[in-house]
Amino acid sequence: MAQVPIQRHVLDNGLRVVLSRDPRAPLVAVNLWYDVGSKHEKPGKTGFAHLFEHMMFQGSANVEKGQHFSLVQAAGGTLNASTWLDRTNYFETLPGHELELALWLEADRMASLLPAMTQEKLDNQRDVVKNERRWSVDNQPYGSWDEKMQALVYPEAHPYHHSTIGSMEDLSAASLEDVGEFFATWYAPNNAVLTVAGDFETDEALAMIEHHFGPIPPNDALPPPPDMTVDPLIGAPVRETIPDQVPLPRIYLASRIPPFGTDEFDALDVAADILGAGRASRLYASLVREQRLAQDASVFVFPIVGGASMFALWVTARPGVSTETLESATLAEVDRLAADGPTEGDLERVNNLHAAHLAGALERIGERADRLSMYTCLFDEPERINTESSRWAAVDARRVSEALQASLRPDNRVTLTYVPAEAAP
Amino acid sequence: MIARPIAGSPRPYQFPDFSYQRLDNGLGVWLVPLPDRELVSIHLLTDAGAASEDEAHAGIGDLTAQLLVTGTQRLDASAFAETTERLGFAVASESSWDSARASFTALGSKLDEGLALLVEMLRTPRLDSGEFDRLKGERLNDILQARADPGRLADESFLREVFADEVPYGRLSAGRPESVEALTVEDSRAFHATHYAPNVADIIISGAISSDSALAAVERHLGDWTGHAPEHRTIEPVQRGGRRIVLVDRPGSVQSELRVGHLGIDRHDPRYFPALVMAALLGGVFGSRLNVRLREELGYTYGARCSFDPRRAVGPFLASAAVQTEVTTDAIRELLGQLDRIREAPPTEVELAEVRDFLVGVFPLRFETTGGIASAIEPLAVYDQPHDWWQTYRGKLEAVGTEDVHRVAGELVQPDEALILVVGDASALRPALETAELGPVEVVAAG
Repeated sequence: MAQVPIQRHVLDNGLRVVLSRDPRAPLVAVNLWYDVGSKHEKPGKTGFAHLFEHMMFQGSANVEKGQHFSLVQAAGGTLNASTWLDRTNYFETLPGHELELALWLEADRMASLLPAMTQEKLDNQRDVVKNERRWSVDNQPYGSWDEKMQALVYPEAHPYHHSTIGSMEDLSAASLEDVGEFFATWYAPNNAVLTVAGDFETDEALAMIEHHFGPIPPNDALPPPPDMTVDPLIGAPVRETIPDQVPLPRIYLASRIPPFGTDEFDALDVAADILGAGRASRLYASLVREQRLAQDASVFVFPIVGGASMFALWVTARPGVSTETLESATLAEVDRLAADGPTEGDLERVNNLHAAHLAGALERIGERADRLSMYTCLFDEPERINTESSRWAAVDARRVSEALQASLRPDNRVTLTYVPAEAAP
Repeated sequence: MIARPIAGSPRPYQFPDFSYQRLDNGLGVWLVPLPDRELVSIHLLTDAGAASEDEAHAGIGDLTAQLLVTGTQRLDASAFAETTERLGFAVASESSWDSARASFTALGSKLDEGLALLVEMLRTPRLDSGEFDRLKGERLNDILQARADPGRLADESFLREVFADEVPYGRLSAGRPESVEALTVEDSRAFHATHYAPNVADIIISGAISSDSALAAVERHLGDWTGHAPEHRTIEPVQRGGRRIVLVDRPGSVQSELRVGHLGIDRHDPRYFPALVMAALLGGVFGSRLNVRLREELGYTYGARCSFDPRRAVGPFLASAAVQTEVTTDAIRELLGQLDRIREAPPTEVELAEVRDFLVGVFPLRFETTGGIASAIEPLAVYDQPHDWWQTYRGKLEAVGTEDVHRVAGELVQPDEALILVVGDASALRPALETAELGPVEVVAAG
């Protein structure tokens, strides 16, 4: 597979810069990862990292509210941002000759967000985020599953115990002072990675980066990373039944697993695809096609790095199938894979699917830039973008089997069962 | 304030060159060689969408498309999935109103094997009765699930309420439960035998290919494909008519899903480009009027948008948002206010330029992937659009002026005729909606 070119630089203020030149299309991607996510939130401030991300679009010293979007779009670009457990990312993809516009916009808000902040803007975005929560969680069938799962997989004091979207109460309590403190603490060049990928001239791009980001002072008092220590296993089976406005019951299973970046995580990533990716996957073949117990099946791992990650799957029951039957049939497939390990065919299948999927993802320079930022922010190793395939290919049957046996055991499993509200006891 | 940096000079970009030819059996072949790519995308389109069904068999097109991937006469469902996925791709097969599409994206080295399997699936599918029953059950379950999801419920209810009873577009292209329930595997076999034929089919291949060898491969696999499918039916959309509110009761909802709109344009409407620009300005980009007013000024919603859905015949024009229950009536008033406003006066040059420049400038970004390029050829094949469609596309957008936007808004945005569809908690919403004088209110049960 073609190698993604990588050039690294560090500015004097600590900003890590990754450049990846590819002039095939006249496009450039600018991507910033700030090493701050919902795991950095203090008690009583859940949801704040994400609310803060919204405030980053409300203007800065030289940019009006809404102008970040309008300038990039008028330049023919697309943009967005997202917040998750470990990090917050901001990204633009636009015609190559507008590279400096994106750099300037990102630098202006990194340097001087606070002069533009007002109570009115905070109140407005608080309402927007509450509506985001209603739309994605509270008014959505099964919408609460990941929030509930995090709360049960991680102990109360752990930074992954609470969801990124946060609680309505904590969102209500967020203040302008919180915005100021959060910005001063986390939004510093030495807490960020800037990736530029696509069509640019290296010297020119570096000069622009230095010009716009170079003068921004670092935070010399970055807090130490939060304590993410957690037992490798949950310790006992955990079960909860949730009556919801759903026509079909659905079972969610999750286990605590070694974090993203470890060999065990890679093995479980492969296991997740053997179980859940494609129509030849174990769960689809057995539960959906052959036994006709499930309407659908989905399996995945969370690429998070703090202490422990999560392996999760869900299966939706077909009408008339009891959740007990579906659960035991699902566990039978997981246990069979753990006990016997995958076949050569399983491994060939998921490796080839993964290679093509990766090539597809890397066709888009925005995705390439995002992965370079991710590997730099989380591991200080952008080169991992080029070893993703070989790390996958190195996973053999024994590693899959051992990783499943170590993590997917009854005393390390949370079972959430959503049932139609009217049928609930 | 420091002004934005001055842009460098743009590098020209053209939509990739492609070739088109028609085989003797009528199959259209579109080839887009992109020698610097690793991947290849194949899209095989047939005129076997919902417009080719009769209403008694509504949903058979979609179910047949799904059934195709459950194997061939040689390979059963399990073997077909295993064989394709070991080559590193999964075949997708789906249908819309105007076409059915089987497609995959794979590493370029898998082109020959992949094409052979795709053609085997299309020409000699298994169409097994057991798999048919399973997929039919899954479809019925999915309809059940969709009605619990407020957004999907709103989309489906809007179609049902905005079109007159006899118009097929008043349903999802995947059918209605009543019609799907009655379908049999014989219907699917008959639909396949009638509508999957070379005279109504096109194959698009983009990516790591050379035109000569790709054409030779297509001729080898599809040159002897025979059959002649009839034309799709002609759909004549009629609106149910009149401004009114339909409130779909979903007790306990903390948000209301709003769908406000009426009939729009078809694919060949001469106002296509000004309509595209007008809809983007009103609700197609982050800085559009609807999103700025309902989200960035009022905080009523996570996002508000609108768009046309042009098909072979006239599809809907639709504005949508999910708003907090408490502000539902105000949100509807604000949304209608924006529909009135765009009719009343032309936008400023500055406002128009921002949107137009986005649509023009984002052009190369839409074609980053081999799949994106193959998809861009589809309307040329399905709607017989001129082959220079993408060559002239940006020029046509640039030609849209403020008066054009004003004119098409006056013609195509009709708040007085709009259906206002609300999915939400009727006990909380009904009194306010009934006193708001926004139109007669009808409350219906979900489903």
